[in-house]
Amino acid sequence: MRVLLITAALLAPAAPALAHHSFAMYDHTRTVTLKGEVTKFQWTNPHGYLEIDVKQRDGSTKHYSLEMTSINMMMRLGWRSNMIKAGDLVVATVSPLLTGEPAGLLLDVTLPDGRKLEPGVPAVGTFKRTPPEE
Amino acid sequence: MRILSFSVLAIVCAVSLGAQKREPPNISGAWERYGFNLGQATADGQRRDGTVPPRSEQPVVKPAFQKEYQDRLAAIRDANAKGAPIASNYVDCLGDGMPLMMGAMFPIEFLQSPGQVTVIEEAFTQVRRIKLDQPQKKIEDVEPGFYGHSVGRWEGDTLMVDTIGIKESIRYNNLPHSDQMRIKEKIHLVAPNVLWDEVTIEDAVVLEKPFTIYYAYRRMPAYTLLEYICEDNREFKDANGIQQIRVGDTGKK
Repeated sequence: MRVLLITAALLAPAAPALAHHSFAMYDHTRTVTLKGEVTKFQWTNPHGYLEIDVKQRDGSTKHYSLEMTSINMMMRLGWRSNMIKAGDLVVATVSPLLTGEPAGLLLDVTLPDGRKLEPGVPAVGTFKRTPPEE
Repeated sequence: MRILSFSVLAIVCAVSLGAQKREPPNISGAWERYGFNLGQATADGQRRDGTVPPRSEQPVVKPAFQKEYQDRLAAIRDANAKGAPIASNYVDCLGDGMPLMMGAMFPIEFLQSPGQVTVIEEAFTQVRRIKLDQPQKKIEDVEPGFYGHSVGRWEGDTLMVDTIGIKESIRYNNLPHSDQMRIKEKIHLVAPNVLWDEVTIEDAVVLEKPFTIYYAYRRMPAYTLLEYICEDNREFKDANGIQQIRVGDTGKK
């Protein structure tokens, strides 16, 4: 499997440590790993969004909206609007919304071809990562 | 006759030299900020440029405004700790205004044209215009806005800028200010590809004394600023002024 990790250090000028929008509404103490099918990769400002359907253990489907950073920051990190398509099966590392609603902040996403992309969340190190649930 | 010729030549040369205006340095083009965290240079910035921007000064607020300022900062800290951040202007997709625009969280562009230097900040497509070699207006003659009214002049290699007319809701890191606030900038190259903006904020109503912020940028020779339109702003300010987010696909393409 080809794994290409796109980081700020490799492809772009240093990403600012500051952010326009606060990400305090996301849980900094844990992450969840979501395996799902992309319904839409939304290339918009102020932030991009990844919409995915995640199959539940009971066979039902739960929809998640995953917030990313500004597409301008993502472009400077090497992202392009056609990198993810509806129907792609992806694995997303997500800081969940504290309200418990099916949404989160996308920290990284692994594409079907194995590429792992990061949207350049400012101060990403402040989000504690927890192992994926089996 | 010979004496007269020399005299004419000397006068012509003197007039010619006097009329020859020194060309300002070329600061046109795209720049990226380095040395975030209130002016402290990152290790990366030092390594690349060999220049370290000075640490920005902290404002000293007069007692009458101290409580409002400190309460605001404490409320922001508490709200963030609770995971319910107080909504800033950004939540409404509003730009920084002055002077925070020069903080350039996203790349910034300077355009030099006759009589004007234009500054564009990529985020929120912010634009300010610095009119050159014009007298500043009276504060009461400028309608308050995000970017105010800026005039500038080149003093040697430094662009000296004076800005007035910033509306009260446009604040530098939540610092209150009065309509008497004046922003003075010294924009100058410290190396061929390194630009500093020394921003001094004066406000005799709110501040005990002026203070100076240092913004440092390095040139991005191959970069063209990208467009930035707030096309699908899912974040919003609720009735309590807290930042919230609409969950679910909004249908935007």
